[in-house]
Amino acid sequence: MFRSIYDRLASLTFGLWLIGGVLVLLAVGSFAGGGEGEGNINNMALFRWLMETPVAVSWWLWATIALLALLALNTVLCSVESLRIKYQRGNFLVLIAPQVIHLGFLLIVLAHLFSAWGGYKQVMAVPVGGVIGFPDGSRVQVGNIAATMSPMGFPTEFSAEVRYLGDGGEGVKTIRPNEPFFYQGVGLYLKEVALEPYRAALIEIHQEPGAGVALVGALLFTIGNVVLLAVRRGK
Amino acid sequence: MKWLLLGAIALYLFGGHKRPLFCAALATELAYLALRGSALGRLPLIGPHDTLVFFSASIALMALPFCFSPILRDSGRFSWGTGFLAGLFALLALPFPSFNMPLPPILRTFWFELHVALAFFGYALFGIGALLGAMFLSGRERSTLDLQYRAALVGYSFFSASMVSGGIWGYYAWGTYWLWTPKELWTSILWLFYSLWLHLRLKGTGWDRAVAWGGIIGFAVTLFTYLGVSMLMKSSHSF
Repeated sequence: MFRSIYDRLASLTFGLWLIGGVLVLLAVGSFAGGGEGEGNINNMALFRWLMETPVAVSWWLWATIALLALLALNTVLCSVESLRIKYQRGNFLVLIAPQVIHLGFLLIVLAHLFSAWGGYKQVMAVPVGGVIGFPDGSRVQVGNIAATMSPMGFPTEFSAEVRYLGDGGEGVKTIRPNEPFFYQGVGLYLKEVALEPYRAALIEIHQEPGAGVALVGALLFTIGNVVLLAVRRGK
Repeated sequence: MKWLLLGAIALYLFGGHKRPLFCAALATELAYLALRGSALGRLPLIGPHDTLVFFSASIALMALPFCFSPILRDSGRFSWGTGFLAGLFALLALPFPSFNMPLPPILRTFWFELHVALAFFGYALFGIGALLGAMFLSGRERSTLDLQYRAALVGYSFFSASMVSGGIWGYYAWGTYWLWTPKELWTSILWLFYSLWLHLRLKGTGWDRAVAWGGIIGFAVTLFTYLGVSMLMKSSHSF
């Protein structure tokens, strides 16, 4: 009986059905607003949002997570079976490239789990001279805020100086869109600036615990993909 | 400058079946994009007008190696089909005004341009895959199905790389590599669809018709991800 369950869990057909199921659930979720309109899914860690949101709204996401868990298991078992059956025959790169892609996919799923569990986001408007405090007592102070406005009145460039003061020393950095400042394991992102009635910066603080794992997963996925393209070239 | 685009459309639609004219259409369209890019000082990748023209040029550019492959070298149908697709999307771009304002600071990064350009190369190859799927269904030549696989696999690689670069951009721009928006959900749906499609091929030759149809359905999902989500759904992430 265990053999039969294992074979089913490791089968390609099961994997295809799981992917199909995830596709359908995500499509349903997208028509429900993708969570965007429901209690700010993007403003808190996913698991917290799931706990706070009625199941009648979030059911598609719970079901997606359940299917993704099964898909992750199916991916691991498929890779194990593929390595076991094809080991010692055929080209090593042909054998290993899809497994590297699978590993990349699994790491990306794991990264989402980390972020869903430990992600953090806070938005604050900080005037020039204002201070953001950290749990260890260190502080980040907002300094000069600059902006260049277009003739139509919207900012084409803006930036803010931040001075960090802590036991590890102090220094000054300039943050601007696409150039955050990483400090104490969190990123400080400049979203907007106001010049009137007084100069202030809208700063988002983000903690994304899955980012590093996601990057490793993405790199492995890309490497596996490129190797697969190379070995399949001309076939 | 628009006369260049009109010339490219005419060449695609009325001369696409002849390879030299197809190449001339692509060269004309690339010239239009280059002039627009030089006027703007960046890649023209914002708004429906520029993205539709970029998509059209990507289809023609990605189709070129296929036009010269031994299997399709003598097939006027393929270059006519890609010429029609490229011409159609360039034609669709005409009613939309071009976006000439300076870019918002958040879009002024190499990662954004890489993300969008790679996505369109992927979309274009999915379109070529759909065309090859239709050719297989009408002619039953297995070699076209193999070419469809190559187109979709390379497209999938471009699209995956686009998702990676988009994630890196998102992390530097918004502090997260993922946002729950309809656009990102459909991007994932498209990526999962082609993951499913590439695995479906492993089921064997008995599934050839399903694989060919899958490539056509995949392009429909592509078009919905690109145009449908931006036009029909409320999303903070569009065009």
